[in-house]
Amino acid sequence: MAMRDYSADKESFKNFFIDFCQTDDDGNKLFKYSEQLTRVAHKEQVPFVVELDDLYEVNEDLVEAVRNNTRRYTNMVSDVVYEMLPDYKHREVDAKDALDVYIEHRIMLESRNHRIPGEMRDPRNRYPPELIRRFEVYFKDLSTSKCMPIREVKAEQIGKLVTVRGIVTRCTDVKPLLVVATYSCSACGAETYQPVKALQFTPPPACTADECRLNKTAGQLHLQTRGSRFQKFQELKIQEHSDQVPVGHIPRQLSVYCRGETTRRAQPGDHVAVTGIFLPMLNAGFRQIVQGLLSDTYLEAHSVTCLNQSDENELTEALTEEELAELADEDLYSRMARSLAPEIYGHEDVKKALLLLLVGGVDKRPNGMKIRGNINICLMGDPGVAKSQLLNYIDRLAPRSQYTTGRGSSGVGLTAAVLKDPFTGEMMLEGGALVLADQGVCCIDEFDKMADADRTAIHEVMEQQTISIAKAGIMTCLNARVSILAAANPAYGRYNPKRTIEQNIQLPAALLSRFDLLWLIQDKPNRDKDLELAKHIAYVHQHSSQPPTQVRALSMKLVRRYVALTKRKQPVVPRNLADYIVSSYVELRREARNSRDVTFTSARNLLAILRLSTALARLRLSDVVEKEDVSEAIRLVDVSKQSLTHIDENVQRGISATDRIFAIVRDLAGTNTTVKIADVIERCVDKGFKPDQVDACIEEYENLNVWQVNQVRTKITFM
Amino acid sequence: MQDITHDFETVSPEIWRANEEKWKERLLKLQNWHKIPLINSNASHNLSDASLARFRGMVQDMHNPEFYFEEFEVFNSSTNEIQTKSGKFTDTASILENEKINYTENLKSAQRQTMVVVSLPGLNEWAQRIEDEKNYIKHLENQPNTSKRLNAPILKRSYDETEDENAMEVVEGDNKKHARHVEDTKDQPSSVSREHLLNFPLPDVPSKSCIVKIYDDSENIKINDMVEVVGFLSVDPALSGEFQQEKNPLLEPMVESEVETITHNPPPSLVPRLHAVYIKKLDHCNPLLKDSVDEESLLRDANTSREHLLKALSELLLGDRLAAEYLICHLIACVYLRQDTITLGQFCLNISNLPTQKYPNYAKQLYDIIKQFVTKSYYLPLTVDNMNTIALLPKKDYDCNRLTSGILQLSKHTHLVLDETKMEQGRLDAAGVQNLAALGSLIKQQKVEYDFKYYKMEFDSDIAVLILSEGKSLLPSDVHVPLRPEQSSLEIFNAIVEAATYYLKEDIMDMIRVYLTRLKLVKFTIGEDLKFVNDDFVEMRSKSDSENPVTADDLHRLLVLARLVSLSRGCSTLGKECWDITKRMEDERIGRVKNRVAPTL
Repeated sequence: MAMRDYSADKESFKNFFIDFCQTDDDGNKLFKYSEQLTRVAHKEQVPFVVELDDLYEVNEDLVEAVRNNTRRYTNMVSDVVYEMLPDYKHREVDAKDALDVYIEHRIMLESRNHRIPGEMRDPRNRYPPELIRRFEVYFKDLSTSKCMPIREVKAEQIGKLVTVRGIVTRCTDVKPLLVVATYSCSACGAETYQPVKALQFTPPPACTADECRLNKTAGQLHLQTRGSRFQKFQELKIQEHSDQVPVGHIPRQLSVYCRGETTRRAQPGDHVAVTGIFLPMLNAGFRQIVQGLLSDTYLEAHSVTCLNQSDENELTEALTEEELAELADEDLYSRMARSLAPEIYGHEDVKKALLLLLVGGVDKRPNGMKIRGNINICLMGDPGVAKSQLLNYIDRLAPRSQYTTGRGSSGVGLTAAVLKDPFTGEMMLEGGALVLADQGVCCIDEFDKMADADRTAIHEVMEQQTISIAKAGIMTCLNARVSILAAANPAYGRYNPKRTIEQNIQLPAALLSRFDLLWLIQDKPNRDKDLELAKHIAYVHQHSSQPPTQVRALSMKLVRRYVALTKRKQPVVPRNLADYIVSSYVELRREARNSRDVTFTSARNLLAILRLSTALARLRLSDVVEKEDVSEAIRLVDVSKQSLTHIDENVQRGISATDRIFAIVRDLAGTNTTVKIADVIERCVDKGFKPDQVDACIEEYENLNVWQVNQVRTKITFM
Repeated sequence: MQDITHDFETVSPEIWRANEEKWKERLLKLQNWHKIPLINSNASHNLSDASLARFRGMVQDMHNPEFYFEEFEVFNSSTNEIQTKSGKFTDTASILENEKINYTENLKSAQRQTMVVVSLPGLNEWAQRIEDEKNYIKHLENQPNTSKRLNAPILKRSYDETEDENAMEVVEGDNKKHARHVEDTKDQPSSVSREHLLNFPLPDVPSKSCIVKIYDDSENIKINDMVEVVGFLSVDPALSGEFQQEKNPLLEPMVESEVETITHNPPPSLVPRLHAVYIKKLDHCNPLLKDSVDEESLLRDANTSREHLLKALSELLLGDRLAAEYLICHLIACVYLRQDTITLGQFCLNISNLPTQKYPNYAKQLYDIIKQFVTKSYYLPLTVDNMNTIALLPKKDYDCNRLTSGILQLSKHTHLVLDETKMEQGRLDAAGVQNLAALGSLIKQQKVEYDFKYYKMEFDSDIAVLILSEGKSLLPSDVHVPLRPEQSSLEIFNAIVEAATYYLKEDIMDMIRVYLTRLKLVKFTIGEDLKFVNDDFVEMRSKSDSENPVTADDLHRLLVLARLVSLSRGCSTLGKECWDITKRMEDERIGRVKNRVAPTL
């Protein structure tokens, strides 16, 4: 490969700094780098950041060169900036510290010495540029470049600019690192400067100034702390994120050396993104003697940024073509629901509800009032019906979630605790699971065994989405915008359908009514279903894999990304649907009055329906809620209610689907004798019946001559 | 140089490098691996530096990769010659006094992976004994190869000292065992305890560990894998991190802490380095197993072995044949499917109702027999004290930058016997509760959570857990069998133990040992026709009521048990016959669990 023309590169950098300008929104021209240079020249700014994105607009080729040989270009840019600085200096700058004064003196000395023309001077006695420069050059990586896993940073990356992400496991104190050592000679008083490039250095043995050399005095050199230049230095160790580690491997680490402005950016435990140059380092001391054949490597930091844990890049990226193709399915809703915990057989409606919980409804803030959009779900049921497995799966799937039991594993409990700092004696707040899961999902197992203190607080969390603290003189309000997914065991081991829910779960009605959906998962023997289940399990044992279903489950990652995508939509309920929703709600209330209602049909149910339907609209990536969304939401609410009641209906009265549909039709008709079939179907579908069941019912009763159907089959007339 | 007939005993890294492919090919064809000294069975001070050696063990930790010089130039100042050398398969550059490495030009870096391999945790005495007999090389004793060693004269002393147990013994006062004491006048070879450096999962077990450097990453070695490594030994004493020079902290910022350096560079006499030329994963570690045994003959002989084992075990379990059947199933169980959140194959057995009042050490006595059968096992008394103090879970130590091992870091097919009869009343502290939870998740999901401080990572495991208790165990288990001892056997248990030891002669023992290990490796199939399974399940479901619920988990368990019952009888497919036996066993067991009588004695 031909050598690069570095002097040409130097020239292009110079032009780039002078010429580069961006136009802001108002049409003003912004000379980004000229302004930086001015600030640097007046010592108002230390870091001089070159954004490769800007350079890319001007000179693509050069960007590639910079990224492949960053160290060299860092030095080059330093030189360029150093040369250009005097042009940007408009006024005298006040000396900021002792070193400034020191340098000033030296420059004056230098100019005085220069008065004697033709004098030969020892080049080592010249002042090294590192001593006088007060700025630091950093490159900012292209915004398009991807973060590399630490594992992939290998020998090929040496000398290149790489960006890695990880968690800080160790960071040293910030220490001064010698950049230029200044010595003064005890014999002649001359000063010697030694730029230090590596982490250690060997002081020169004797004075090399002319005077000493001629006199052969070999004067002792003394390090002048005040005249030397130091830089802040900190070493970080970062470790791979758990998701970057291949199964069965131990996370790897990488050393990061931070100098100057990049120090003190992170603390142990922080998630960081580090851009830097990957460099080898020759061993010294012990290692050089023994393991001369090894070299350590490190990353010389150009930027260190802390990341929020939820700041997941992969989630916000647009879906790729293949992923879109995978998602292009007419019944995405059912398919995604089935993809939740695919190893748990059946429970499709529960999974649909859980999917909606992940998506969430839309928050509303009309006139300062706050209506939550988060959906709360409580799963109840006999032991061993995979409640905990479902919870576990959701915990793993949700990008931000906390899994806890009602008792809470730490002393903090579910809400928050005021703790006394053992060192300072200050009181401080420590958030419990609900606070930590803010804007996420909080999975609470054993919800019924919750501590009393938490029980009172959870009322507030579930409706107002905040936690108020008034303890030990601290009065505050913490956000807890969480969706609660609770699992509860029946009080007496098994769910007793003859008792009410409160008696079964031993939770107050006020708390239960705050759940949008209450599911009772029961495990009842049923010949066909059992056979299906047996076949399913036998298949797993036979073929050591899950049986192929008609619908292939989507990968966890894809579901996660799609859900993240849906959250950007804020669908609204159009005015023309209001009547439909109102009438449905009135119907629900009426039914609750008539039948022996074990749940609490209240205004909260109306909100629940709205939340579920907005979540459904979000799932379609639509901005408007449609009628189908509402009817599906009503169906879910209804099915969930039935899960609580249907046992007694089936067992005690033995009413078939046909009979129940007939009852609906009769109710619908009321005092009239004719009913529209379209209305019947709509109402029945809301109640969770399939249209063909409705047809079968209509036909059956027609044959019994209970009613008649007109020729075009649009109306039913009772006899 | 390229003499292919060169013996493996004398091959050196340079010769190997010259013709890597061919040497490797020869190695794979080599009939007699035993000729290559096994470090597990031969003291490392009898082996010479830079010669081929083998090590067998479990991957305990993985360090960061090392960058080494694959090629570098050496300048000889006396002859003015420039030579190209390589750092592959060696730690030290073989450089003469008047030679100098040219660090500035023609350097070629490459990467190698460093792993800590420890001898298989829980390997039982008999297996170790047979291994030693097979691999002990006598002539090594007679000719300590000091002459071959590099820089030997100055540093030889440290070998002898480190081998001396007493000199090594350093009291681990409180928790500051990592703190390095000021070296006293007597040149103490180590100031960090031997246990700390060896970092072995199980306490109080003699073990060896070895740092293996891997050049070929293709094998995808995972943590806790059983591996056998062939490589060049490197025991240059200078590699020890303790000979480090004092640094000036002002001039040189600390890159690694001192403890870290010492931990990563233990004295090679204690932890030899091995530069792997070949590494293979092991499926088992039973030295009795020959590679060529065909499955059919094994399955044919299975019933004979089973009869012997059943006879011995039912006697030991005080005449309880059912419990013995279950114990056999437990001994041959291993995980065979892992997908998403389900794990199939684990078979944790809880035998309760042990006659502890009459024989307080019954559990231990039982274990002493079991450990004669299985290759790897560990006995852990579940006392409150143990639970509160023992570290079960491995934990990342960021001061030393290594994974500090815990008892649950075991390789696959290890038997863990938990003795709950030793549990007394007391208070579990936070650590104790965590330990119990860890055992629970191990039993239920066969997963062990390693603590990396900033996050936790789950690692798959395959450890068979046997819980011996008085009442039903407080830990979960797949199958709970209350023991029903026969009165007559109860009286003469000590005599039974004696008789059993007599009955189990070495040849019968060997048969059983091969039987148990082999069955774990047999491929089991379930035929397409499973109508009897499906029908039975539907029937069971229809009978299920609130007192005896029958769920999907029960079917999973039945199928796993049926698999084990069939295998133990030498069938590699599931037939109706074995299914019926399985169902009868379960019926009898469930009957026992329900009509639990007050513990006998």
